[in-house]
Amino acid sequence: MLTCNKSGDRMVVDAPNSNGPFPPLALMHFRDVAPAEQEKLFIQKLRQCCVLFDFLSDPLSDLKWKEVKRAALSEMVEYITHNRNVITEPIYPEVVHMFAVNMFRTLPPSSNPTGAEFDPEEDEPTLEAAWPHLQLVYEFFLRFLESPDFQPNTAKKYIDQKFVMQLLDLFDSEDPRERDFLKTTLHRIYGKFLGLRAYIRKQINNIFYRFIYETEHHNGIAELLEILGSIINGFALPLKEEHKIFLLKVLLPLHKVKSLSVYHPQLAYCVVQFLEKDSTLTEPVVMALLKYWPKTHSPKEVMFLNELEEILDVIEPSEFVKVQEPLFRQLAKCVSSPHFQVAERALYYWNNEYIMSLISDNAAKILPIMFPALYRNSKTHWNKTIHGLIYNALKLFMEMNQKLFDDCTQQFRAEKNKEKAKSKEREEAWIKIENLAKSSPQSCSNGDGCPFDRRCSEVKKDS
Amino acid sequence: MMVIVVRREVSGCLFTQGGSSLFQRGYSRLLSFAACRRRQNWKHEEVKRMRDLQAIDSLLLKELKSCCAKEYNFLPREAGLKLMESASTQNHNGVSAKCRDARVEELWGLTSFFGYSTQTFVQAVNLLDRFLTIMKAQPKHLPCIGVCCLHMASKMVEAESNVSPTHELIRISQSKFTVSDLCRMEKIISDKLSVEPKAVTALTFLHLYHSAFASLSAGREEIPSIGRLEAQLKACFCRLVFSKAKVRIVPGRQFLSIAAFMLSHGTHLSVVCLISQPSVLALSLIAHELPDALQSPAMLKIVQQFQRHLKISDSELLHWKELVAKCMTKYHSSECNKPDNKKLVWIVSRRTAQNLQANHFSVPGLPTIPEGSWDESESEDSCEDMSCGEDSPCGSLGSDGEGAFFPSVFPKCGK
Repeated sequence: MLTCNKSGDRMVVDAPNSNGPFPPLALMHFRDVAPAEQEKLFIQKLRQCCVLFDFLSDPLSDLKWKEVKRAALSEMVEYITHNRNVITEPIYPEVVHMFAVNMFRTLPPSSNPTGAEFDPEEDEPTLEAAWPHLQLVYEFFLRFLESPDFQPNTAKKYIDQKFVMQLLDLFDSEDPRERDFLKTTLHRIYGKFLGLRAYIRKQINNIFYRFIYETEHHNGIAELLEILGSIINGFALPLKEEHKIFLLKVLLPLHKVKSLSVYHPQLAYCVVQFLEKDSTLTEPVVMALLKYWPKTHSPKEVMFLNELEEILDVIEPSEFVKVQEPLFRQLAKCVSSPHFQVAERALYYWNNEYIMSLISDNAAKILPIMFPALYRNSKTHWNKTIHGLIYNALKLFMEMNQKLFDDCTQQFRAEKNKEKAKSKEREEAWIKIENLAKSSPQSCSNGDGCPFDRRCSEVKKDS
Repeated sequence: MMVIVVRREVSGCLFTQGGSSLFQRGYSRLLSFAACRRRQNWKHEEVKRMRDLQAIDSLLLKELKSCCAKEYNFLPREAGLKLMESASTQNHNGVSAKCRDARVEELWGLTSFFGYSTQTFVQAVNLLDRFLTIMKAQPKHLPCIGVCCLHMASKMVEAESNVSPTHELIRISQSKFTVSDLCRMEKIISDKLSVEPKAVTALTFLHLYHSAFASLSAGREEIPSIGRLEAQLKACFCRLVFSKAKVRIVPGRQFLSIAAFMLSHGTHLSVVCLISQPSVLALSLIAHELPDALQSPAMLKIVQQFQRHLKISDSELLHWKELVAKCMTKYHSSECNKPDNKKLVWIVSRRTAQNLQANHFSVPGLPTIPEGSWDESESEDSCEDMSCGEDSPCGSLGSDGEGAFFPSVFPKCGK
């Protein structure tokens, strides 16, 4: 940490105060200084902002100087936004250093319960105490990156892999505002520094792998996925093998994790973007989704159904044919689910025109799979809304092809009769056995213990 | 089965043994058939079977007799049918054929959903047709009439536990009228029609004949299941045109023998059984199926004789044949219509509705970052960390002025 530069006394406005171990100085405003001197002042202000203050254990300490820093940061934000050619080469290392000093810190241990107890929708996130300053630092750095004068060639000496790594570590912050800034910052860095792109992607992959297979805890998955969404959207065709592997090995296993609800919309977006880029990936994606289909977690099942519908909205008819049978077998199970939200969501697919047109093109294969589930549930499901939706689904099927529908009805009835006959057979077999047992000479109802034991002893007595 | 609709004057003597000249004429013709057949190397068994026919079917014939006698009461009025056919859908004064057909399809849907039997459906359609041909109903009342007929039919036919309660019926059919409306309509219909124990319809005869033919052709032929036949019958019912009954006379017994004859020569049984519709329909169905089943010119001869006997003109036969052909091809086609789900109402629970609305993560906040083709090769400091296997010649970065959010004016690099 640098101490403040005392050179250039004429820039000092206020006398040093002995309020702390270091002497902070209030510097002059940019507008009060000649343009030639502005760069020097800029650097001084940047170095001044490298002083850190305590917001956590002693929030009321150094209030005056906290305000000085805040004002300085605020002024610098304005300065680089509204002025051109102020970002000169000496500025770069100072800015990066200031950012690093303020930001790169070890995050406090999570105060929220981890694992199953933490409900991301219900529990309040722990907010960063030093936010008044951190916010301005982020704001400033972002303007710095986005400035028209910004030159990646110069900056790349300072914004390197180590910097990016430390930036990525911050994504685990519990403060959503911080994560939002980080997201935008990393997005700009990815866009401007082509040399860092592969490294960034690789490190993000590592974060995901650790999340899926080791910790199942990371607060920034949604933000990272949002960045990836914009990257995927920009992929050139034909897709590189690396990206396809990313989809299959990283994105799809992300569906397994318990806390899927936190980042599911972003994940679904990424997956759908991939399929829009390359439709040959449809089959592995859908099969993986079916493999990871939740069996006991109903809210997750509803999420999967949302995602599946989005995939079906963009699916190619030729790809649809490849996956239709396992897909509709799973849908048949969903429609029969006793959880009414799952059944409703599955039945709502019938309201989707594109899906219906796909179904009607392949009705001969699909209807026999769906029909038994629908028909059975029209009688047995406990929820009345579901009945109405099942009626709609059956009606649509009827309109598609009457003969097919009738054939399915016949088959259903035949199978039901077969089942009845079978269970009757079973009953009769049991009765037969019972009767045989009753008529057996060895059976006698003694009431206590095994009749055979008594019998044996009695036999012995007789003989 | 052919419903022999009898003109009142002749009803008495139709089935007596030696009475009607009609019968005698028919019977003698039958004998001539037999002779003709024999000359064409007919098997003896088949002749024998035909003679045995009378012995087997005495019970069946009795039932047929009683059904025939009642059947006339359950036909829709011809004048009413004509009116419906001529009415157009634009005209809001009367119910047109198209409206009626659409309504019957609705009833079919409801029947399937509630698991009612075909008998219920057939009864309901019968009630509907009879009511519509007597009363000039408004199209806006048609949904209520339809559902009411179905409800009445289900009460007649189904076991009490299986009859769905009225509010369920109304809710599922997405109708706009109330339970009290339904009750009032029920009263009106039962007043106007003699709604009592089940009407004798085509289905009755279908069952009678199916059991007859099952015993007749035991083991020798593939008899389509009664279920399939019922389905085909339902398909025909969905078109008003087939309710149009032309009244003709054919002795039931004679029909049976002719039918048995045709059966032994491979005519599709479904065709034969569909002769339960009035005879013109029947004959046209046979004629329609003939090209497939035709083994000998004798078949064609029978059709012609039938035609002559029933006094059906060629043009009429042709007309009906076309209609039947259209109906059956449409039914049997594997072509699937794209369903129209706009007519249906989709009611979901509040939670699901919220979920559906919230689920539109469509436009992300971050702009797209296009991938450059020289991306991977431009990295200078990550050569050993390459995640992809490409070579990475270290070179200077090219212009990175791509993408929407990059400044369009980029100052020259190099200081």
